[in-house]
Amino acid sequence: MKFDPAVLVDYWPLLLQGAWLTIQVSAAAMLIGYVAGIVVALIALVPGWLPRLVTGLYVETLRNIPFIIIVFVVYYGLPFWGIRLPATLVGTVALALFASAYYAEIVRAAILALPRGQFESARAIGMSPASAMWHVVAPQILRTLVPPSTNMTLTMMKESAVLSSITVPELTYQSLVVQGNTFAPFEVFAAVASIYWLIAAVIAEASRRLERRVGAVQAEAVSRNRIADRYLSLVARKN
Amino acid sequence: MGFKFDYLLSILPRLIGAAAVNVRLAVIIMLLALAFGTALTILRSRKIAAVNACIAIVISFVRGTPLLIQIFIAYYVLPAVGLDLSPEVAGISAIAFNSMVFVSESMRGGLATVDAGQIEASTALGLPPRAIWLKVVLPQLFRRIVPVLINEATIVVKGTALLSVITVVDVLRTSQQIASSSYRPFETMIGAALVFLVINLVISLSGRVAEARFAAARA
Repeated sequence: MKFDPAVLVDYWPLLLQGAWLTIQVSAAAMLIGYVAGIVVALIALVPGWLPRLVTGLYVETLRNIPFIIIVFVVYYGLPFWGIRLPATLVGTVALALFASAYYAEIVRAAILALPRGQFESARAIGMSPASAMWHVVAPQILRTLVPPSTNMTLTMMKESAVLSSITVPELTYQSLVVQGNTFAPFEVFAAVASIYWLIAAVIAEASRRLERRVGAVQAEAVSRNRIADRYLSLVARKN
Repeated sequence: MGFKFDYLLSILPRLIGAAAVNVRLAVIIMLLALAFGTALTILRSRKIAAVNACIAIVISFVRGTPLLIQIFIAYYVLPAVGLDLSPEVAGISAIAFNSMVFVSESMRGGLATVDAGQIEASTALGLPPRAIWLKVVLPQLFRRIVPVLINEATIVVKGTALLSVITVVDVLRTSQQIASSSYRPFETMIGAALVFLVINLVISLSGRVAEARFAAARA
């Protein structure tokens, strides 16, 4: 078995088109999903048992069903209710729906983690409501919000591969097309995995910069002592 | 056409039968992921620079690429290098490999919470490394990562649904077969969704019970 990247030479445009669609669909689903997630989180924080029950059902249902099943439910469900959309749009909706459940939990946790009375204290020392929100509350929420949010965005980008099963011509779909034409699985999947890996690396780097910008807490374990580190640490000590 | 509940009820027995496949695969995968994840963690703790550098690349690959692509690699690429696996075995290998990395990464986090004094004490008592791992570190570590493992188990169950794309006859593939003859794909998929929902809620709830038990045992 030999590795011959030349077999892909005619197919690079197809793979890059697929990669571009993966990026577009993920970005759109991130925006829609985040807005929906914020709405769900705010509803969940309304006092009373009913809002909490409804949003809890929404979140738990979407988080406990495989994404590929959510995709098919939306794919067959929209026409069932008389709505006909192109596959790419259906896929984006399904991806946004899936992501919104996770974003909602992230936003809710960040709001709940905020020490009580921050807003009131800021108002008490004479800050305007807008100023209190912008200078006191927002920076603290962002700090707890950014790391899990970017993590989820990465997960969602990877899940978008599943949209190939409803013929959305994104990267995984194109890889199966190219695989069918070339019968060179090694080369095809090496190329496609590398492209995903690259997109993931870009998202990871962007999130690192964003985290530094908002001053997110880095929870890296501090090395304690030489003897314990023989068992309790997986990284070599820097002397 | 309206939603047909009686149809949904009529296909549930077949879907529940197929769910046994998903549950069986998920159990095998979790056991493999736990065993290999623990072994990988112990290997990483040896801090052999070249080995850890290779492991870091593998971890980055597994975390940076979709599980579906990893499944395709096991299914399409491994036969090309002479490893001809059945769809089930290819799928189990791919998801177990993926899950192994996540188990090891959560163990890395868990290790940091083990009391350093215990290792010093064990070392001072002259316990061999094997005993320190098996009697001191791992029992505490497993208890600590129970919540993460429960979460990982639900992720693995969800992952088994992807194996339908490489022809494993699981809940999803069974429901696609049913839908192609009944022409009621929407109700059928709702049925499949319900089956997964029940499996994962059972796992989450039993996980919460297990956590409470462990918490009580420690107190």
